[in-house]
Amino acid sequence: MNITDSLLVVFAMALVTYATRAGGIFLVGFVPMSTRAEAFLRYLAGSVLVALVVPATVRGGPEGYVAVGVAILGTLVLRKALPAIALGILAAALWRASMGAS
Amino acid sequence: MLPASEPRPHGATLTWAGCWRGARAMLAVLPPVFVFGVAFGIAARGIGIEGWLASLMSALVFAGAAQFAVLDLWKIPVPWLPLLVATFAINARHILLGASLRALCRGLPAWKVYGAMALLSDLNWAALIAAERRGERDLGYLVGGGLMMWLTWVSATVIGAVAGGLTLDDVKTYALDLVLVAFFATTLVGLRRGRIDDLPWLVAGLAAMGAVWLLPPNWHVMVGGLAGGLAGLVRDEMKRR
Repeated sequence: MNITDSLLVVFAMALVTYATRAGGIFLVGFVPMSTRAEAFLRYLAGSVLVALVVPATVRGGPEGYVAVGVAILGTLVLRKALPAIALGILAAALWRASMGAS
Repeated sequence: MLPASEPRPHGATLTWAGCWRGARAMLAVLPPVFVFGVAFGIAARGIGIEGWLASLMSALVFAGAAQFAVLDLWKIPVPWLPLLVATFAINARHILLGASLRALCRGLPAWKVYGAMALLSDLNWAALIAAERRGERDLGYLVGGGLMMWLTWVSATVIGAVAGGLTLDDVKTYALDLVLVAFFATTLVGLRRGRIDDLPWLVAGLAAMGAVWLLPPNWHVMVGGLAGGLAGLVRDEMKRR
């Protein structure tokens, strides 16, 4: 691809991507504020996060379940995200090591 | 991590202190962001994209999944339609992320809101909405976290484009992709309000898995998010009657 085409592709991608980033807050501006709309946006936030986590966990296989399970338990017990993530990854690594050894 | 200033009930703020809090919240995920950035630099060089161009793409597009996808479409003549459709489809989830930040943008001038949105991505968004539940009202949290990620992503692309050695397979063996999932999972814990979230979240999870199986790649976040949001809304309506 020549330089002109390459730059055009990069700029076009940047534009489309920014449109998705700015689009959410732009579009929601047309929705009149109501308790119903507020409730929907609150459900939306949690649901988007679930939709990110669940397929990624399943795709990770057994290690995914171990990492996510331990990270969630860790957050509940420790109330801190960073050590909980570290524990989750450690548990997944140990799991993989023990599976590889057997 | 409480906000430094008294949270105002009806307005959001955007301060340096908020940026700093958001930046610190990103520490756990910077290593994986870095490694994926290096991997992107290497992959881009691998198909003949020059280092400066790959770095420019990381700086301007700043969306890993879309950037990797476009590498497959880097052909002559440029397949414009597939390229733009893929970019939009992979990034369409941002629309939901942005919409959910309405309360955190309330009362802020448009240039600040639309400036902050340039740095919107899954990770700093997740950190922000989890912090919002703890009383955070500062959109700077998104900006600070986004800047940290942006700096990491761009410098990693430069390094990957200059040096070499890692491939995507190596990234997987180092379990770094799991760091991101674990990070999202911990924010989920902070976000849960109780049983009111059970039904929407269940629907979101099922719909997302259904989309993974039935739809083209990258629609699952959009589908799961909307399905969960609607499920919550419908449930509330039925209760009201």
